Amino acid sequence: MKASARLVVSLDSHGNSVVRVLRSQSPLTLVPHRRVGPVALVHLVSSVTAPLGGDCLSLTVEVGPGASLDLRGVAATLLLPGSSGTSSSSVVRFLVEGSVRYLPEPTVVTGRANHTAVVEAELDGHAELRTREILVLGRTRESPGALSTSVRATRCGKPLLHQQLVVGSPSLDASTAGLAGKRVVGTELMLDAVARVSDGGEWWSVVPLAAGGTLATALGDDVVTVTNVLDAI
Amino acid sequence: MLTALILADSRFPGGGHVHSGGLEEAAARGLVVDEPSLQSFLYGRLLTTGLLAAGFAAAAARGEDLAVLDAELDARTPSPAQREASRAQGRGMLRAARRAWPSARLSSLAASPHQPLVIGVLVDDPYEAALTCAYLSVSGPASAAVRLLGLDPFGVNAIVAALPVEDVASRAVKELPCLGSPALDLLAEAHVRREGVRLFGS
Repeated sequence: MKASARLVVSLDSHGNSVVRVLRSQSPLTLVPHRRVGPVALVHLVSSVTAPLGGDCLSLTVEVGPGASLDLRGVAATLLLPGSSGTSSSSVVRFLVEGSVRYLPEPTVVTGRANHTAVVEAELDGHAELRTREILVLGRTRESPGALSTSVRATRCGKPLLHQQLVVGSPSLDASTAGLAGKRVVGTELMLDAVARVSDGGEWWSVVPLAAGGTLATALGDDVVTVTNVLDAI
Repeated sequence: MLTALILADSRFPGGGHVHSGGLEEAAARGLVVDEPSLQSFLYGRLLTTGLLAAGFAAAAARGEDLAVLDAELDARTPSPAQREASRAQGRGMLRAARRAWPSARLSSLAASPHQPLVIGVLVDDPYEAALTCAYLSVSGPASAAVRLLGLDPFGVNAIVAALPVEDVASRAVKELPCLGSPALDLLAEAHVRREGVRLFGS
């Protein structure tokens, strides 16, 4: 299944963030809320079981100057294999002049999944982006399939963060210098002008990026532990 | 080739011996205790941060813009402790290199450059630069393990010799990697927060 969806939010003359373009294509179904206010709320609903092997999904989100968007998932994403054995992919692209919060639910990498996920964000001078990713390596007592997930964020063309994480190589997942045998990996990227105090514990940290912004990272054995760390920031 | 050998030699006075690449923190937590756990640590380090560093050394050796590479490597190193460790080792290597191999391109590096960029400028063959960088990503931590854990130097040397350093260097010359290692980042951050005696800078 190939699908592309597009969402455009801009500020109207009353100071409200308004959804100007909403193009869903199953399984990428965008559900806007009717409330009118400074922040537009849209839920991203997977209206078909996806992604399966062979699926190719693409979502583009544009937020204009002064506008704010809250884009939320409603359920965890299960990465599943298809019948053909081919890989699946998803690309989410943000073009931000205003402010975006992107909070999908956790992604579970099931046994024979083979998926590539890409997030690309282009921010202009004062744009803000906050996004969270929580990965679960396999269902209970299941080894994960293969996942490559990457994020590249730039501000005015200059790189802020470019990270790829590869899951599904048993020797690398178990290595103390890989994922240290933890089942859940969480990151929260905050690209804004807020100065946050660096902090950390045994398996989590909140750190400033070199060119502005903050990254929180947590490793844990379950989603609740990792979510609690990220929620506390 | 000779430059690569000198840079990879543990007697090169670049200050690399004060960095353990996260090994000291891992050993302090009891995560690396013996040869099998060291092998796993070094393998993970080589295939994540080792590949990343080797890719940037190769790009610098190809003559790519050093300021662009510096910013791109910063963006791929979210941990400030890891950035500082890379720049401290770059600074130390640069100091020794200015005496040994003065050149205009070496002078064009920033005062505290990332170490892979210094290696790339000095070793102008991309594969050799990548190989040097990939090897250094594991040789320092391996030697730290001998010192910290009292492991058998012959056993540790055999582990290093069996690691796929050449495969990683071959991959590194093909594209600029962006692989992260969340656990190494967290170990590096915890290491700088650790109170009490630390033998290594990272």
